Order: sequence, then structure tokens, then C-alpha cells
Amino acid sequence: MSSQLNTALAHEESKLLACVHCGLCLEACPTYVHTGDENDGPRGRIYLMRAVEEGRLPATSPTFERHINRCLGCRACESACPAGVEYGQLLEAARADLQRVRVRTGWTNRLLRFALRHIWLHPARLRLAFSAARGARDLRLAKLLRATKLPRLLAPRFDFALALLAGSAAIPLTERAAPAPAHTQPPAVAANDARALLFAGCVMEGLFARINRATTRVLAANGCQTERPRGQVCCGALHAHAGDLAGARQLARQNIEAFADEQAAPVVTNAGGCGAMLASYGQLLAGDPQYAGRARRFSARVRDISQQLQATGLRTGAHISAPVTTYDASCHLLHGQRATTEPLALLSAIPDLVFAPLTGSDVCCGGAGVYNMLEPELAARVLAEKLKHVAATGAPLVATGNPGCHMQISAGAQLRGLPLRVCHPVELLDESYRQAGFYQTVTSAD
Amino acid sequence: MDQLVQDLRAIVGADGVINEPAELLVYECDGLTQHKHRPRAVVFPTSTDEAAAVVKELARAGVSFAPRGAGTGLSGGALALDQGVVIELARMRRVLKVEPENRLAIVEAGLVNAQLSRAVAAHGLHYVPDPSSGASCTIGGNIAENAGGIHCLKYGTTTDHVLAARVVLSDGTVIDLGGAGAEAPGYDLLGVFVGAEGTFGIATEATVRLVPLPPAVRTLLADFADVNAASRAVSAIIAAGLVPAALEMLDGATIRAVEASVFAAGLPPDAEAALLIELDGLEAGLDDEAAQAEAICRAHGARHVRRAADEAERKKLWAARKGAFGAMGRLAPDLMLQDAVVPRSRLPEVLADIYRIGAHYHLRLANVFHAGDGNLHPLICFDLRDADEVRRVEAASHEIVETCVRAGGTITGEHGVGLDKKAYLPLIFSADDLATMLQVRAAFDPSGLCNPGKIIPAPRGCGEARAARAGTRRANGNAADAQPAAFVAAARQQPFAASGTPNRSQPAPLRAAFAPERAHRQLAALVGAEHVAAAQDAVTVAPASAEEACEIMRLCAHDGWPVVPAGAATWLDAGQSCTSTRVIINTRRMARLIRHEPADLVATAEAGLTFAAFNEATGRAGQWLPIDPPDDGRATIGGVIATGLGGAHGFSQGLPRGYVLGLRVVLADGRYIKAGGHVVKNVAGYDLCKLFTGSYGTLGLITELTCKLRPRPAHMTTMVVRAASGDTLLDGARRLRAGDFLPVALELLGPALAARLGLDAPHGQSALLVRFASKEATVVDQVRRARSLFARADALELITADAPLWQALAAEPCRASYQLGWRASVKPTDLPALIAALRVEHEGDATLCWHAGLGDGRVRVMQAAAESAAQVTARLVRVRRTAETLGGVLVVERAPTEVRQKIDAWGVRAAPAQLMRRIKQQLDPAGLLAPGRFF
Repeated sequence: MSSQLNTALAHEESKLLACVHCGLCLEACPTYVHTGDENDGPRGRIYLMRAVEEGRLPATSPTFERHINRCLGCRACESACPAGVEYGQLLEAARADLQRVRVRTGWTNRLLRFALRHIWLHPARLRLAFSAARGARDLRLAKLLRATKLPRLLAPRFDFALALLAGSAAIPLTERAAPAPAHTQPPAVAANDARALLFAGCVMEGLFARINRATTRVLAANGCQTERPRGQVCCGALHAHAGDLAGARQLARQNIEAFADEQAAPVVTNAGGCGAMLASYGQLLAGDPQYAGRARRFSARVRDISQQLQATGLRTGAHISAPVTTYDASCHLLHGQRATTEPLALLSAIPDLVFAPLTGSDVCCGGAGVYNMLEPELAARVLAEKLKHVAATGAPLVATGNPGCHMQISAGAQLRGLPLRVCHPVELLDESYRQAGFYQTVTSAD
Repeated sequence: MDQLVQDLRAIVGADGVINEPAELLVYECDGLTQHKHRPRAVVFPTSTDEAAAVVKELARAGVSFAPRGAGTGLSGGALALDQGVVIELARMRRVLKVEPENRLAIVEAGLVNAQLSRAVAAHGLHYVPDPSSGASCTIGGNIAENAGGIHCLKYGTTTDHVLAARVVLSDGTVIDLGGAGAEAPGYDLLGVFVGAEGTFGIATEATVRLVPLPPAVRTLLADFADVNAASRAVSAIIAAGLVPAALEMLDGATIRAVEASVFAAGLPPDAEAALLIELDGLEAGLDDEAAQAEAICRAHGARHVRRAADEAERKKLWAARKGAFGAMGRLAPDLMLQDAVVPRSRLPEVLADIYRIGAHYHLRLANVFHAGDGNLHPLICFDLRDADEVRRVEAASHEIVETCVRAGGTITGEHGVGLDKKAYLPLIFSADDLATMLQVRAAFDPSGLCNPGKIIPAPRGCGEARAARAGTRRANGNAADAQPAAFVAAARQQPFAASGTPNRSQPAPLRAAFAPERAHRQLAALVGAEHVAAAQDAVTVAPASAEEACEIMRLCAHDGWPVVPAGAATWLDAGQSCTSTRVIINTRRMARLIRHEPADLVATAEAGLTFAAFNEATGRAGQWLPIDPPDDGRATIGGVIATGLGGAHGFSQGLPRGYVLGLRVVLADGRYIKAGGHVVKNVAGYDLCKLFTGSYGTLGLITELTCKLRPRPAHMTTMVVRAASGDTLLDGARRLRAGDFLPVALELLGPALAARLGLDAPHGQSALLVRFASKEATVVDQVRRARSLFARADALELITADAPLWQALAAEPCRASYQLGWRASVKPTDLPALIAALRVEHEGDATLCWHAGLGDGRVRVMQAAAESAAQVTARLVRVRRTAETLGGVLVVERAPTEVRQKIDAWGVRAAPAQLMRRIKQQLDPAGLLAPGRFF
């Protein structure tokens, strides 16, 4: 029946048909909750996709574009869906079709497309870009510039981008405000012979290298040695979410090659967005005869650091004087990788950590990759809701396992002048292990 | 651009209206995709005022509209036909107020069902109706559909949990239906509004009842090798006197689909049926119930019975049940979800028929349903793009519905009729039944703009409905409304125009003088002289059958004689001063118990059977109707329903309105209609049972009724507590209510009444009666714990054979020696203030008899009037003002004629009174039935 057999959506017809229109997804969808508009809910978006696929609605329809683009892509609807509709993949297909029929106008968009094509696909350029950003952050240029209030007058989006950048900086984790020593070494002894391959990630390595190092140390302290395969690149999540499936596939193939040497070892990530993307390579490359099988096997090896620790076993560290802490689940970690209890188990390995559960922890914060730059208005509403819930916990420290969420919540706090700090759960555990003396070969005094 | 859209944007703002054709696409259907109608626009009001302004604008433009919540309905009810406008309430989702002590919340209609329970959980409360779509569907949508759910077997459906609603009528006026107290006098407008599928108006706010989270829960999963055995186990559980909070069945196909979904809960995939049984209540004795349920399952062939170990496992099991519909989506692109109800006892044969029908049409069919209610949900898998398969699905659906109707069931238990089941309605209702429904609809929506084209088949083709609407519209638009005097004069000049008779504010004048002798003669010719009796100006006639009653009514209608239906004739003069020249139709010769099926927990009786005899007969199977209306042993079951009165047990057991499943009624023009049916869940057509219940015979003569029953508790004990200080008793009662207790009655008796009932209290002491009724272990445990709450009381006595005490209390209001009787109801927290006012009013009067329900905020006062009519009236006015200031009501039950002429007996607010008149106008335009009782 399809009138557009060559479209990405047409290839996903069976996934579209899996939706029985029951509506159980509605309340799981942050955009629907805010607008109450069926077009902004998963069921409505699938209905629009099906209308396009069946030729009832042209793919060039501004309605289609508007509501598909307003989707955060958080995939909370997948966890709510009894019929198991693979919404994330439908969304990527819909965005690919949109990409084909028209290029979004507006400077933010053009900038994004340019960056995805001409920077992200080239590792050297990407490294250069991130070191420039890091420099601006570490020299406090972002903060100083924001303090002039000029960016806000110029373009609130630019102001927010600077706050995001500033939000990636390391923060003092304990009340004594002792900064974590930069080059602490993990113990040489391995309790078991577990091995893992670390997926470093572009943003993680570019702005959060400290978390990658903490990940390595924590794994080692639990007897798991980590390798970091050379030749790995960006996971391609940003490309896929923006509808650039070709770009995403190119990166996926490179990563599969990079991790090909050690077929048995798990691929460990500490970024929910990257992890969920890597775990969907099997789907992404299903139509590629050369890579389909390898991609499926690769995806099956992907684990979040919290899941990996659950598998290897998790040592209890020392008590640290961290403030009351809450946890906000990264959507893709939760709905994409189904890491529900594991991150909490990770935090519970820190003795007497005062933990305040967060209402709506399973709801998106509005970061959603670069959504906060593309749909600032709706993103701000979603973020405001998140910050309201965080405030209700009374916790000044939020732990979250994805760089997008990390920076989004921090930026929101900066804009509102809230005394809120954000870290990765593994940073806290790392500090706990350090104080427990698990890292014996310390090279610099603290 | 569309001018209407511009006008609507002026009300709700630019982003409050959608009118792009592409954006309207998703609003062309609800949860049932088979019906598609794209609306002209979708409007998103954010307040009642905005919704009212929107409706007013649409009424002005003559554009029809359909209210919509989350669009999860399964009958096509939320679609706007013929280019109508959808009014979407999703942006009205606030919890406005929670009153934990009064166990109620006021919420906006767009609030999501599950969010409400989440919002009140911190108070240890929850909102009980929990349809499977609860995670998304709205309270407003639940009200429209009278949504059921998994826990309605024990706790009832939405109609039992909505206390009041703010409603925008189709002309844009806003009206409050119901009330937060135990009683809202007058017709049960809220009762008939709930389940009207948005055709009577748009509910924008609701006051809902909250229920304490059960102190203890046991959830059992029993699996069977065949469906038949499982459904026999269901009947056996009910017949054994257990009332599980939920009793659900999943068949093999469903189990396997669920287990493949995100909701997998470890159901055995090789089973052909699984029962999910939830028992809740107090911890003491609950394990015995669980063991009993388990034993019954095993005796009926259960292979395994597993108990949920903890809350997490329980939640998982219920998530599996609720996700079943969606999970079936794995099997086919489209699903047809049917919704029919059969008497529980007929489940095995009906299920077998349904599987046979599925096989005959070569369809994949599964069943997942509310077994305890007999509410079947056959699910048919198909592909909408396969025309032949669609035809087979339609044919199979039709056969399934017919099968259920033949088994004594109904066409829909909770999904509603909407667009989808209009054609099925004539399977269960006659043309007269449907015409009556249309008349009531015309009273609510004279313009016909409110969700037209739903529920009743082909309304436009029905001349009668058109006439009815036209009539009301004229009455409505009559300028005389604003000028009562001129209006009444006009009404007197031309009192009996066939239609368009204006609203009356006085009793109807007679067409011809009522001549008792002539009436006596003609009535004797119909029923035999020995069944007609004359007393003063009235003639009493006792028909032997509904047919005779119809003939009597036709005769009276023809000659314009006033008619007053009566049972025991206790409330013959209830309400405003009623004319004494009249025909009294007495139901005493229609007193058969027609049917009682213990496994169904349902009984049908003729209206003249006494309440006592009804309960005695059903009691032989260990069942009863657990209400306690005013009754000295003579009250008829018809009278109990017609007055709708409850008693001390009202707050735990509910009022008669909650038990009426079906009625047969003789209307004022002699038509004989049926309302409701014989099954415990039924949302087919309008719930006219609610309208007739409590209408005091002003809308028709009830001749036959079907009630749902409850198992009679094995053990009952009453604690009588006395204290010199009333505060000690009130405080103890409050703590009792807040604790883990399930008292069935919590009644405070004034000193005089306590003495009259033989509770030989020391002079001047009130008595608190606390009654527990359940299994022995549960009662004993509660009594033991309750004692400690009354440590400061002067005396505490236990009565185990307590039935005579409660019967004596119920008989009090019927005593002829009381010349004055009234009742008031406020919210429970306001009751002490009302009692204080009462004490001030009657300072020093040691003879005043009163009792108060501490659980539901109700007071009844009985007095042998010794004062002048003027004094009595002045006092009633003062107390009523106090009650109304507290948000409550006062109803005068009996009073000397001079008093009743001076005071409005009911105290119905102006707006509902207006709507009541429109209904009366539709059903009894000549004003023959109990003229003057309400107006």
C-alpha cells in the first residue's frame, strides 16, 4: 500500500503497524505532558509517520516536520509500550525522510549539519574543536563571557550553549572540597581476570576525560582491566537523531572495526547516549550485508559502566562527606540500555551516602543531544520541570550518567542561579574508592 | 481564515486552537482506529471559564462539539462528527484541592487517572477506579464513560467515586452537579451525567472520593489447563462469599503475548488460563481468605497457585494484566477489542461460544477480562487493510455481542457505546426505552450540539426526539423564565399544551375536577373493586401486574388525574405540600422475588416486596442488600429505591443508588420502559436507573428492580461507647477513621434517642455506636484494638446480637408520633460544627431525638412538634443556613402542612432545580406524577 517504497519509513512499516493506538505512552512523553497536543505525543507522531508512509500526508508537510522535530527522542515511550514499538528507530527513519525532502532552515540547524558533516566525521578536526572548547572552559572564558550578560542579549541560545560548556567542568564532590588528584593510579592487582574495552566517546573524551579515567580506575579496583582500542570514533548518535543515517553508519562501521580485535570482551561506556547508540548498531546496519552480523554481535557486547560493575561484582568503598545526592536517569541509559537499578546499586556501594530519590527521574531533562539548541522553548519547559523536582529533593548534588543530561541540568542551574552541582555516579564511587585507599600507587599527594 | 477559529483564539489564545488540516489528522480517531472523523478544529481550554466561553461561542455559531481527554476511549466517543469541534481538556490537569480527612479531592477533568492516585498516596489514600488505560486516561474521560477497571468488583465503578462535577452545558452555562456531602437532594443528575459519554455536557472539574489504601493485600496467580475450569472457579469464589478486590482472567493466547512484552511477569506460558485474584482488607483474617480462594482454585483444577511475595511482584502482575491489550499488538497490526458483560454464572458457556465464533470466522481471538464482573473483553487480531478479514471481524463481533445479550448480558460494560455500538443498542432496549433516553438527553442538551451522533442510533431520524428537543428549546428560551409571575399566569391559562409547557413553580392545576367516585369506578373496572379503596379525596389502587399499572397510568393520564406511587406509604407526603386529591398506586400486590442467582450476586424483585422479605430471601444464600433505609419492617424495595435513602451504614456500604442494576418503570403516559439490565457492569445507553432512584415517584412508577447484592458478613458486633463529653466520642471516632479499621457504621446518638433505643445511658449522655462486620477474626481484632481509642470513655459495652438495635434505629424516622423530621449532610469534618449548632438551637430540649453519621457527615433529627409553625420554620431556616454555609444541605422529611408551605423542603440550588424541571418536563409534561412534591 505504501506510496513511497524507497523511504526510510517504508522500510519500517512493520514497526509502524505494531502500534495499536492504545495511548499508554502519552504520559511517558515529556512533550505531550507539556502541550497536551496529540501531535506532540508518541502515538500521534507514529500516526503522522503512518500517514506519510501511506501517502495520506506528504513528507514535505510542515506539520510532519514540526512534530517529528519536537520529539526529544528520549524513548520513554518505549518503556511504556506494551506492544514493544521500537519508537527510537521509527524516529530516526522519519528524520532521515525529512532530511531527504528538505533541509531545515535556521542558522542553528545549518551549523549543526555543517558540524556533523565536516567536523564530527573527521577525528582530527573533532579533537581540535574539543580542545578549543575545553580551553575556553578551563580559562573560564565561558563564565566570564556569560557574566557580561552580552550573550543573553545577543542570543539566549548562545548564552545557554556557554552555560552548557561551563557545566561540563569538574566540581568538588565532597564538602571538604578537595579536588580529586589528577593522576591517581589504580591498583595493579586484578582480583579476577575480567577485561573490558572502553568506548571513550567524543564528548566524554573531549570534555569529561576525568570520567573516563575514573571509569578505568573503578573497573580496575573491581578486578577488571580496561583497554581503550585505537581507531574508535564518535558513536554517531547525534547523526542518527538528526536523520543523518549515512553519517551514523559510516561511524558505526569504523567503531566495529576498531573493536574487532578482542571479540569476547564487553564494550563499556559511561555515557547513556553513546551506549544506546552502540547497542543499536545491529539495527542501524541490518541492511548492510557486509556488516549486519558483525554489528549485531558488537551491539550485544555493549554495557554501561554500572551494568558492567554489576556483572563483575562491586566493592564497597569508604564513606565520603558528599552532600545529599540524588540521581537523574539518562533516558537512553534507562530506556535504551534498560539500566534501571544498576546505577543506583553503583551509588549504594558508597557507605552512608545520603540519597534522596528524585520524582520523575525517568523523565527527560530536555537536553536530548542538541535538542536544547534546536527547540529551546520546549526544552526549557521540560528542564524547568526537572529542576523543580530536583529542588524538591533538597539535594545539592545530582548524579547522572550521560554528558548531555550532565550539562543540561548544570546549565539550567547556572541560568537560575541555583546552588546545584552535577557529577557522574562513577565520579562519586571513584572518590569513595580513593578515600578507601584502593588506589595505592598515588603519584601526587593530596 | 475561518472566522470561528479566530473567535475561539480570542478566548483561548493563539496556541489554544489547532485548525491546520494536517495537525487535525491525529484527532480523527480515539483508541479505536476503525472510526475516523476529522474535526474542524481542536480547542484547548485551560479553565472552566474558558471552556464555558468556548462552548458559548460554538452555541452561538451553531457548531457541534465533542469533549476529549486523552483519546484512549474504545468506542469512538471522542470524535467530532460533521465538522464539529473537539474540545480537548488535556491542559486542565491540576489537582485543585485534597481533603484527606473528608477523603475527597477536587481535580480538573484533564488530570490523568494514575496521577491522581500518585498525588494523594502520601495521605494513605487512592482513587479506586483503575481502567487499564489509567496511566494515560483522564478523570473527565472516566466520568464520560463511567470507566470501570480492575478493582471495581469490590469498589464499584467511576459513578460510585464521583461526588460532584462542574459541568459546562451545551449553551455555555456552568452547573454544579452533586455535592461533597453524603447527599445531594433532588434528582441524581450527577448519576445520570456520569456515563453519558459527553453528550450531556462537558465535565471540567470533579470532586472525587478517595479511599484509604488497603492495610493489607494478597495477590494470587492461579493457572489452569483450560478456560472452562478457570471460569467455574470464578463463580465458585463469588458464591463462597468472597469479594475479591479484583478477579481477572487471561487466556493462553494473552498470557503468551504478555510474556513476550515488556510487561512479562512470569505467567506460565503453557497455561490456557490464568486467574489473578486480589484480596484486600485488614491483616487479621486475610490469610484465611487467601487460603480459601486458593483451595477453591485448586478444587477447580488449578495447576499452580502462587502468591505475590511483595509489592514489586504484585505491581508486575498487574502491569502484565493492564498491558495485555497493547501486548496483543505484537500479534497483528490491528485489534478489535470487544466489551460485553454476562452474568458470572454464564461465563463458561459464553466463553466456549466466543471461541467457537472465532474459529468459525478463522480469526485469531484472545480473551483477557474482568472475570469477577463477568465483563468479557474478547480481542480479535486482524489487519485493517484486509477488507475480507475486516468483514469477518465485524460479523464475529456481532455474533459475540448477540451471544452475550442472549445470555442475559449487555453490549458494553465499560467502554461505552459511542459510535461503535450504536447499532447494538436495540438488541437490549426497545424503541420506548431509547425514546426516553433521548428525552433525558434533550433536557440536558436542548440544542443537540453536544457530541451529537453518539450512543442512540439515528437520532436525527427520530421524530419524537426532534419534537422533544423543540419543546424544551421553546420552554428554555421563553422570556417568562425571567418573569415568574407572568410565567405562572401564562401556564395557568394554557396548562396542558402537548409540548412546550413552561416550567411550573406550583402544583399542576387539574384539567377536570378529580371526582373520587368516578375514579373509584373506573379503576375498579381495571383491577377489581376489592383492590381499590377510597379515603377522603384520594383513591388507592393496587395493580397486580405491570400491565395493570400501565393501564391505570394511561387512564389517569387521559383524565388528567394526579398520581402518587406508593409502597408502604411512609413518605406519601414527602417534599413540598402535595395535593391530597389523587390516585395512589400501591405496589403491595406486586411482591414477588423474581430471580436470585447467588453466583451472580444479583436478585430481581417486584417493587412491592418488602425490603425485609427481600433480604430474608437473599439471606438464605448468605447474601443481602447491605443498606439500611428508614424502615419499620413495612418499607418496600420499590419505595427504598424511589426515595434513595440510606442510613447509618451509608458511608461504608453506599446508598441504594449504588445497588440498582436495572429497573422497569411505568412512565406518566403509560409507556413501560426498562432501564439498565441484570449485570453488575453496564454502560449501554444512559444510566436512567440513577434518575429514577431517589426521584420520589415524580418521574415514573417503579414496578420491578434488579439489585446487586453482597455476601452477608458472618459476624457482626457493635461497640456502644458513652462519655459525658461529646468531644471524647468525636475524637475517638476520628482516630478510628484514621486508623486501620473498617467500621461499617459509626453513629452518634443523642441522649433522648439513646434512651429510646434502650441503651440506658445515664442522663444526658450521648452514645457512640461502632459496628464491625466481617469474618470473626477480623471483627474480634478490630474490637480489641478499638477499645484502646476510647480509654477516656465512661462506659464501653459490646453487643454481639446487634441486629435488633440497628433495626430499631432504622425504624425511628417512620414513627408516626414524630411530626417533624429533617436531615442534613455536610462534610465529615464540618459535622461537629453542625451538631454544635443543633445543640444551641435546642438548648434544654431533652426530648429531641437525633443521630449523626460520623463517617459521612449526616444528621437526622426527629421531633414531636410542640411549637408553632412559624417557630419551626424559622429554626429550620437557621439550621439550613448553617448547613449551607458549611457547603452542605438540609432536607425536610416530614413537617406539618403549614411548615411545608413556608419552606422549600429540598433546598436544591437554582441551577440543578432548573435542570430537574426540564427533565420532569420531558418525562411528565402534564405534571401528573406526585404534583408539587418537587415543583
